Amino acid sequence: MNIATAHAEPVRIQLWHQMIYGHRQVLAEALRAFEKENPDIVVQETYRETEELRSSYQAAAMGGSGPELVYGPSDQIGPFAAMNIIRPLNELLEKDYFKQFDPLATPLYQEKYYMIGGGVGNHLMLLYNKKLLSQPPQTSQELIEIGQKMTADLDGDGKIDRFGLVFNYTEPFFFAPFIPAFGAPFMTGNTEPNLGTPALQKTFEFILDLRDKYKIIPKECDYETANALFKQGKAAMLINGDWSWGDYKEARVDFGIARIPMISETQRWPSPLVGTAGYSVNANIRSPEHLAATLKVLKYLTSEKVQLLFTERVGVLPSLLSLRANPLVKDNPLLQVSSQIMEVGTPMPVVPEVRAVWDSLRIQYQKLLAGSVTPQAAAQEAQSMAKAQIHDMNEVIQPDASAFIIKGLILAGILALLWMSRNSVGHFIQGFRGPQKFVYYMMLPAFVGIFAVIIYPFFYNIAISFSNFSLRTFQDWSIVGVQHYVDALTDPKFYSLLLKTVIWTVVNVFFHVTLGIFLAVIINQVMPAKGFWRTLFIIPWAVPQYITALTWRGMFNQEYGPINIFLQKFLHLSPVQWLSQPFTAFTACIITNVWLGFPFMMIVALGGLQSIPHSLYEAAYLDKANAWQRFRHITLPLLMPVMIPAALLGCIWTFNNLNIVWLVSNAGEPGDQTHILVSYVYKAAFNLYRYGYAAAVSVLIFLILVGWSLGSLVRQYNKEKKV
Amino acid sequence: MIKKTLAWLSILLFAVFSIYPMLYVLSVSLRGDNAFQSHSLEIFTSTSTVKNFIDLFVNTDFILWMRNSLLVATMTTLLGVAFASTSAYALSRYQFRGRNMMLFSLLATQMFPATMLILPFYIILSKLRLIDSFWGLFIIYSSTALPFCVWQMKAYYDTIPKELEEAALLDGCSPWKTFYKIILPVSSPALVITALFSFMTSWSEYVIAAVVLQDPQLYTLPLGLRSFQASLATQWGLYAAGALIVSIPVLILFISISRYLVSGLTMGSVKG
Repeated sequence: MNIATAHAEPVRIQLWHQMIYGHRQVLAEALRAFEKENPDIVVQETYRETEELRSSYQAAAMGGSGPELVYGPSDQIGPFAAMNIIRPLNELLEKDYFKQFDPLATPLYQEKYYMIGGGVGNHLMLLYNKKLLSQPPQTSQELIEIGQKMTADLDGDGKIDRFGLVFNYTEPFFFAPFIPAFGAPFMTGNTEPNLGTPALQKTFEFILDLRDKYKIIPKECDYETANALFKQGKAAMLINGDWSWGDYKEARVDFGIARIPMISETQRWPSPLVGTAGYSVNANIRSPEHLAATLKVLKYLTSEKVQLLFTERVGVLPSLLSLRANPLVKDNPLLQVSSQIMEVGTPMPVVPEVRAVWDSLRIQYQKLLAGSVTPQAAAQEAQSMAKAQIHDMNEVIQPDASAFIIKGLILAGILALLWMSRNSVGHFIQGFRGPQKFVYYMMLPAFVGIFAVIIYPFFYNIAISFSNFSLRTFQDWSIVGVQHYVDALTDPKFYSLLLKTVIWTVVNVFFHVTLGIFLAVIINQVMPAKGFWRTLFIIPWAVPQYITALTWRGMFNQEYGPINIFLQKFLHLSPVQWLSQPFTAFTACIITNVWLGFPFMMIVALGGLQSIPHSLYEAAYLDKANAWQRFRHITLPLLMPVMIPAALLGCIWTFNNLNIVWLVSNAGEPGDQTHILVSYVYKAAFNLYRYGYAAAVSVLIFLILVGWSLGSLVRQYNKEKKV
Repeated sequence: MIKKTLAWLSILLFAVFSIYPMLYVLSVSLRGDNAFQSHSLEIFTSTSTVKNFIDLFVNTDFILWMRNSLLVATMTTLLGVAFASTSAYALSRYQFRGRNMMLFSLLATQMFPATMLILPFYIILSKLRLIDSFWGLFIIYSSTALPFCVWQMKAYYDTIPKELEEAALLDGCSPWKTFYKIILPVSSPALVITALFSFMTSWSEYVIAAVVLQDPQLYTLPLGLRSFQASLATQWGLYAAGALIVSIPVLILFISISRYLVSGLTMGSVKG
């Protein structure tokens, strides 16, 4: 090694990806080999879950940084390109370069290339367990017949132990292949939703029939459930994508693959979406040196060598056309069948509008599955919803008269602040030398911390709430006025969400406080080993919230969750569809949050109880007061001063508790009917790119809470004064 | 007698309610990956295995994440306790301009939906070049825990009789010396609560960590655990095993300080 390279700092390239576990290992291996050959470049790969990859990349790109390379499914290039946060590759690579790839791996967005895929596929197919059936069904009729034969209660306990077919059918992606098979695509003209069709209606009916009439799919089935059932041999057939093969090979399932059976009624094949997951280049790369290194890595990752490595190890179909004749591809039976399946596929749309189509489809579809709308209404409603969402997402609000006023107010505010602080800053600095310098030094760290972390971001959000910051104005938003506030306040949805949030808060805090007091009183008066019980009841508080939420989600599973199993076994009740009905799903969120919150109130109540003088109870005994009277006239009034501030804080926390609702209901499922205000805000901002609107609603939430808490503080103060 | 039975009955019921979810996680962590779905309520079955726990320590970076998390949590706790104890003392004992304003704005900070602060956080941190640095996390975590901690500490200081310091000040102690020699030692219950809160904020926080930390070498436990949860292939067994282990340090912490918990959380409001 010569001196020059030994001392030169290697160029650091970051790559964010969302590859599943098996693929990650291959990627790491390929990159380490690259680094060995190119000691001047270091590549650091970071795994992010798909949704999160999207939102953190957006945040990073907005801050003017982010990874040089981002790897993800092709449908993310639409929004990224619309936001101008990825570079068109036409500018960087010679024209012929793209010709060597399968067109599916180099999707075009507005006539430009934004991504190169290392493989193609990502499409759905029918997987079947060869131990259970030798031939896959060819038509939907056969599917139903075989499915019914395979669906069985094997041990005679009245529960189905094996299903004919399982798949993540509540998710639109898994259900989309059927729509064109019933006669019409779900999007037309590239960006227009086409959901209000008889085809969609028939597709809805088809799935409902599979579930309710022929009973060959489970009542509730998410990806994990489907996956686990198939691995355990408890499902004969499964609809899943090519990414899942490795998983089943590892679990030693002897499986075959086939097209999703043809729909007998229309004689058409279901058409899975075919796409790619590929590499895009950050628009923010400044130095030519970095850009050159980035392209080098990009070319390497899509080179023959790396593609073959992925094919060999995890069975990815290469995107380089030159590799299709390679024995590794040609002689691989799975890949051969898989590429035949792709022939009936539809290229994955990449425009940002797809997101709105998926979202409206998901919402209406879940309402349908819960039985609250008819197939026809669901299809119509999905169409108008998708249109409305696309409109909101693409809207670039123009400044109106209120923009002037807002800008004027902001300017006036800044001037006023400067005017007021002209002395204050001096005072503030002098304060560190003056008689109160002790106070100043004591306050300084907290002041700086809170200013940087809370006050500044808060004002930043206020500015956004008056702006048109959204998908189309990601890089250059401007203050446009109060439109978002007007939108929110004139939308009936805002008030129904507010009502629901209030119910959520009141019910939760009510249970937190009453359970807390109840347990505290019992522990304090009746129980031996108080310390033991106290500790036992602290457990829910000690468990991190995200773990709590996911655990309870598992416990509420209709088929395999312990709650339903308990209800059936010991109380002989029929299973409750906890997570697929809006009311029960919301109840499930409340139960989870009650579990989470009662320990805090219990501890506060215990403290309060200990401070009540014993002599009061002795006096009550002499007066022959019974237990209830003692509680009502001594314990409760004396606990109140302790409980009220705690309950107040509890209300604020509960009102803004995003985690539980978001994670337990899986982002508002079913059909967006379990949202409270904060989760609605989160969705608007991070899933639908409506940052300005989301900021405005957050400011409204803030104002509501400030108003309410000031009100109750004043009431409390007046009451105390009267007493 | 009936009353006693009822009391026992209800407390046992609640005991089940409060510990069952953790037992459920334990049960999942002991099952093989393929037996994730089960119709049985048993915690231990014939197929129970500790394989997931072994895998967690041997085949993943769990120990690294644990070390990072401990570092972040410890540092956050130290900073949080230092900031909260000093500023709360100033708020409790001294009248100065902006005092009431400060107290209310501390409370008001809790009223803004926290998720909306992520974007500005990211911008500040990248301007300060604190992305991929634990310092970014230290600052954010200790500051976000501050509002509750300051209120908590202030409420506690308010209950300490002023005479205690007045004597010391008369004896010629400086305010600072009075603070840390006289006041801090008698405030231990409140300090413990503050420490616990700061610790918990950072120990289980996920969203901000995901934005700030991009280098897998710096991952904290929640980030690490999340990586078992790939969108289409979750390793439930590993996740459950990890979840259980993540909860244990907090639990131990809670148990060892539960004595202080009761007095620390309520003292202020009772007397103040």
